[in-house]
Amino acid sequence: MTPGHGTTDRGVSAERTRLAWRRTGLSATAVGLLAARPAFAPHAGTGSTLVAAGAMAGWAVLIALAYRRSRGLKARPPVAGRRTIVAYAWLTAAFALLGGLVLLF
Amino acid sequence: MVPATSCATLATLSTSAVDNRRVIGGLRQWFDPEKTSRVGEPPDYRFSLANERTFLAWIRTGLALIAGGLACAQFLPPLQIVHLREIIAIALLVLGGLVALRAVDHWARTERAMRTGADLPASRFPAILAIVVALGALLLVVAVLLQALK
Repeated sequence: MTPGHGTTDRGVSAERTRLAWRRTGLSATAVGLLAARPAFAPHAGTGSTLVAAGAMAGWAVLIALAYRRSRGLKARPPVAGRRTIVAYAWLTAAFALLGGLVLLF
Repeated sequence: MVPATSCATLATLSTSAVDNRRVIGGLRQWFDPEKTSRVGEPPDYRFSLANERTFLAWIRTGLALIAGGLACAQFLPPLQIVHLREIIAIALLVLGGLVALRAVDHWARTERAMRTGADLPASRFPAILAIVVALGALLLVVAVLLQALK
């Protein structure tokens, strides 16, 4: 359904949503860096290196998903991003697990 | 004539079956969200975008909790109570993961409600999260005061 009569959407809601994705990406960057940090300590073990690799890979996927969603939001009307949203939430939860691994090593 | 009790049991059984179906349907929405697009009528896309932004705000809340857990694990010195640092970190990480999963569940249920024209799903989760965070903060204040008085 497109906006009702008498209303014009000049793409502001899509723009706001795109910016929300960007803000979320920035938060994910902070989390990714914090998870990767122990690997750069002197005498870091293999475990922390693997955790850092996982964090970087997860971060790359999160950024790619946000980028993909931004392109979907440029269309008029914006395409729905159901799979992107669900995948993003699961990856965020996976980061919580990865944080548990940081504690182990 | 059927006794009233068995009628009541039947009623509970059928409602619990409906509940189960709803739960399974909700779980399926997480894995196969395209199914949602076949229910009801598509709403004004601006409402869907608002729902998406709410989801993202919750995801950021979850990410902030996860970042807090990671920061506790790495920057706090070992505390006087054994493993207290690890316990705080794990509590924050678990809370962050829960917030992320709750976010996608609530997003899917809201999307479904908007398509079917039902009331938007009510949720106690924000209140519970607020209470948990406030209690955690209070505990930490007590811990800091005890340490200062020693």
